[in-house]
Amino acid sequence: MRNSTTGWLLIAPTLFILFITGFVPFIYVLVVSFFDWNTFAQNPEPTFTGADNFRELVFDKAFLKSIWLTLKFTAFVLISQLVIGLFLARMLLRNVPLKGLFRTIHTLPLMIAPIAVGATWRLLTVPGLGPIPHYLKSWFGIDYILSRFPDQAFATVVIMDIWHWTPLVTLTLMAGLSNLPEEPLEQARIDGASEWRIFWDITLAFLKPVLLTTIFIRLMDALRTVDEVWMLTGGGPGAETRFIGLHIWRVVFPKTDYGYGSAMSLITLYLTIVMCWLLYVAMTGMKENKA
Amino acid sequence: MKRGLFQSTAVTLIFWLCMSALTLLPVWWMFLVSVKSRADLFGKPSFLVDTAKMTWANYAEVLSNPSFQKYMINSLIIATSNAVLVSVLALLAAYAMSRFRLVGRDNIFFWVLTNRMAPPAVFLLPLFLMFTAVKIGDWSLFDSRIGLILLYCVFNLPFAFWLLQGIVDAIPKELDEAAYVDGASTFTVLRTVIFPLARPGLAVTGILTWVFAWNEYLFASTLTSVEARTITTGLAEFVTVTGTNWGQLAAVAMLTLAPAALVLALVQRHIVAGLTFGAVKG
Amino acid sequence: MLKFMLATSAIALALGAPARADFWSDAGAKYQGVTIRGVSESTPPSNYVKDVLAPQFTEKTGIVVEFETTSWDQMFDKAIKDMEANSGIYDFVYIEQDIIYSYLARDFLVDITQTLKDNPDLQAPDFKFEEFTTFIDNFRGENGNIFGVPMEAFIKVYLYRKDLFEDPAHIEAFKAKYGYDLAPATTFQQWRDNAEYFANLSQDDELWGTTVQASSGHPAAFYEFFESIAPTYGVYDWGIDGTTYAASVDKGGRMNSPEAKEALKFWVGLLEFAPPEATASTWDEVASTFAAGRAAQGWVYGENAAWIATNPEKSTVVGKVGVALPPMVEGVMEAAEKGEGYIGYYDGGAFGIPHSSKNKEAAVLWLEFIGQASVQADWAVAGSRVVHQATYDDPKVQEVNAKADGYFDLMRDKGYLFKGAPEYPFHAQVREVVAPFIYEAIVGTMTPEDALDAAAAAADAELIKLGYAKE
Repeated sequence: MRNSTTGWLLIAPTLFILFITGFVPFIYVLVVSFFDWNTFAQNPEPTFTGADNFRELVFDKAFLKSIWLTLKFTAFVLISQLVIGLFLARMLLRNVPLKGLFRTIHTLPLMIAPIAVGATWRLLTVPGLGPIPHYLKSWFGIDYILSRFPDQAFATVVIMDIWHWTPLVTLTLMAGLSNLPEEPLEQARIDGASEWRIFWDITLAFLKPVLLTTIFIRLMDALRTVDEVWMLTGGGPGAETRFIGLHIWRVVFPKTDYGYGSAMSLITLYLTIVMCWLLYVAMTGMKENKA
Repeated sequence: MKRGLFQSTAVTLIFWLCMSALTLLPVWWMFLVSVKSRADLFGKPSFLVDTAKMTWANYAEVLSNPSFQKYMINSLIIATSNAVLVSVLALLAAYAMSRFRLVGRDNIFFWVLTNRMAPPAVFLLPLFLMFTAVKIGDWSLFDSRIGLILLYCVFNLPFAFWLLQGIVDAIPKELDEAAYVDGASTFTVLRTVIFPLARPGLAVTGILTWVFAWNEYLFASTLTSVEARTITTGLAEFVTVTGTNWGQLAAVAMLTLAPAALVLALVQRHIVAGLTFGAVKG
Repeated sequence: MLKFMLATSAIALALGAPARADFWSDAGAKYQGVTIRGVSESTPPSNYVKDVLAPQFTEKTGIVVEFETTSWDQMFDKAIKDMEANSGIYDFVYIEQDIIYSYLARDFLVDITQTLKDNPDLQAPDFKFEEFTTFIDNFRGENGNIFGVPMEAFIKVYLYRKDLFEDPAHIEAFKAKYGYDLAPATTFQQWRDNAEYFANLSQDDELWGTTVQASSGHPAAFYEFFESIAPTYGVYDWGIDGTTYAASVDKGGRMNSPEAKEALKFWVGLLEFAPPEATASTWDEVASTFAAGRAAQGWVYGENAAWIATNPEKSTVVGKVGVALPPMVEGVMEAAEKGEGYIGYYDGGAFGIPHSSKNKEAAVLWLEFIGQASVQADWAVAGSRVVHQATYDDPKVQEVNAKADGYFDLMRDKGYLFKGAPEYPFHAQVREVVAPFIYEAIVGTMTPEDALDAAAAAADAELIKLGYAKE
């Protein structure tokens, strides 16, 4: 290990930029969360109210619903993306003609801006214009109207996210799969283990750190999904797809309820960090065991 | 090795053909909408191009719009500068983390990651106030490209840092130790040993951060107004325009997608190699 | 002597006339090269300002206008944040009629009357407050001074498909089914019958009975219900008492009164006969739906009336559009005539100057420029908006008027029966807490009755929190 002063110098610019763009705003939000501050109230100045905002949050049905929806959404997309991503990663590692082309096509959705993803799916689902409602109606007799049926809206948002983000999962898992050690696999085959057992006991076991890392990345991003949902459903019907990022935005911006919105932000951030921390501990623990 | 029917090349090929069609369907539909005139939009949907009625008017209109051109250039400058800045800073930081004894190493690492965790709406208000407060003469951080280039570090740096740390960790320490023994400075080691070896990883980092920056919407829409607006904010402007202009919206979306798709096609081979996040030790 | 007088007057004429005609270049000389910036919603009237008026102004004065037209949500966001942070980004902002009270309460805006009084050399010869319609009164402060120069104004009217309503086959079939003559709706029952009739013509056609601006995730639904539907049932000003700021019936408000519940029931009931996109429709989609020929009747914002009726590039119903007053319950018309109520929504907006602007004088010149009588007629044709009384009689406007079934005449003659949003400084705050319950009623997760009870309770709680109402 080398002289740590040089190390600090190398990492300093990164820490400095993140301090300005991440930590300073965080402190601001922290302070504001202890105030009642709505610039369109009779008294537009901030008033210190201690922990009132936080107390109110515990009973705020809209907030709790939004948190619950976000968690539900995250669970759905995480599990689907892991399963589908793992399957596709294995399929992509096979030798087929046009492999490069397939890989490129599969990765394409990842490159599309979330806001454009939302727009694309809106074009697919707008009644009267989009093909999905048309064919569901004429083939299956299903009335598919996102803005009227909460379950359809939620399912569509989940499917959209799967379409958009599975490629990232596929790619990271491919990186993991292609680095798997060969010997244990060969050994197991010689021992006559079934393909299924090999996959379950060996491949997955070796893949665990990669899986956890992938979950971590997707968890961080899924919890802060805003753009595409805003574009597709606007959080509707009602508040059935109003995930926490969108909910906070509505409270802080159109409603200008700064104090309350800040408290809400802090709680959300806290929950996110706790979840990620648990995963992180699991991840680093695993690394050390290996080392 | 025995191969079942399911594992045969033909089945795999068919599978991927279907899968690709499924993946491309939404994009294809967007393209179809973008070549339809406003009056033809509604009606029975068809997945075929109606060559008789096909029109490039939406593209012509969008491309000849000066603000669209400006948005596109802004997006290019902002995404590219941010990707370069982030890759360089993250490489330095990752090297520091990997090779130096830093107090509270794991905590620093996790703190860096937390910056990507916050829902973006959380920071909008303080950032807006900060951006409007920073002024040098007539120049203001608000509505400036520099502002966005710096700000995008908040979600891109943690990502790049993590990705590159795995890459740098995988470079054998003996290589740079040998260089130090020969009397090289830290900078020389970075330039001649680490940089060439981390190049595939850097490429992936650069591309993904570029895409994230290119795609960002919420910050850009709040922290810019005229000069530094990006293409994604331009896209959103078409949504609530009178009688939502679906055709032009689709045309802009296609144009937003094009550069990213191009970059992807060029580098897709390298992406997998770089995406290990340190979870795989080679 | 006479000769001398003639000579002097000739000189005066020679000097005076061009000087006056050239007011803009003289007045602009001081501000050459200055750039003023503004923000507005991207609507036909705003786009006309951006594409036509701004370049004209720049040519005459040398003042550059950078005008950002964006979506409605973003426009508010940005204008408010700019004024709040006092950052001085914008020199003029779009002020919708319904938000002006919030802005005035916060003292965001420059008093334009006073500025012109203090700087007489800024007064343009062709700009007079008296020439505006009464709509300008919405932008007066407590002292009666003007804080915004109106740039668009329109009423939300009843639009129907003339070709369908006049088709003998439909007239006959309708009579056979309902026992009375098919006609534009004058009662709510008739509206429903019309809607039902056209929606059920055939299951395969792309025609439905009515538009409904019932987006289940956008405030547009809140606006259509409280500003167009509830008033025709006699529930005004969102059902909130104007002095005590109480919303629920127990406290003296009317938000959950039987009339309001009746209104919501009727409105939500129409969804059965509306095209499937109705629950995703804001004002824009409503206009698109109507223009695509997918609805037989509906409430449509007047700013869209002209292009729907006249522009074949965007609309499939050119020449088939009829315009009328919306139906209402008994007593509402009488109340509106007396000025005690209103029958629908009179919307529009003005440009105002934020205190934070650094180019107030140049911005005042710009606002006068767009407020001149001479620019009004072409602008009205492009965006079906009228803010000057004289604009109605302009031949160009009359021509469009004829094609749009007398929309402009209706606005001139009956405009006084319509009213904009109530004068609440807490506009967005109450909207944000009430709107979710309207969405619930649309989706059907709450009955209209329960939704309004809950909405009124939530509005009361918010008004107390904000400090406007008493516990």
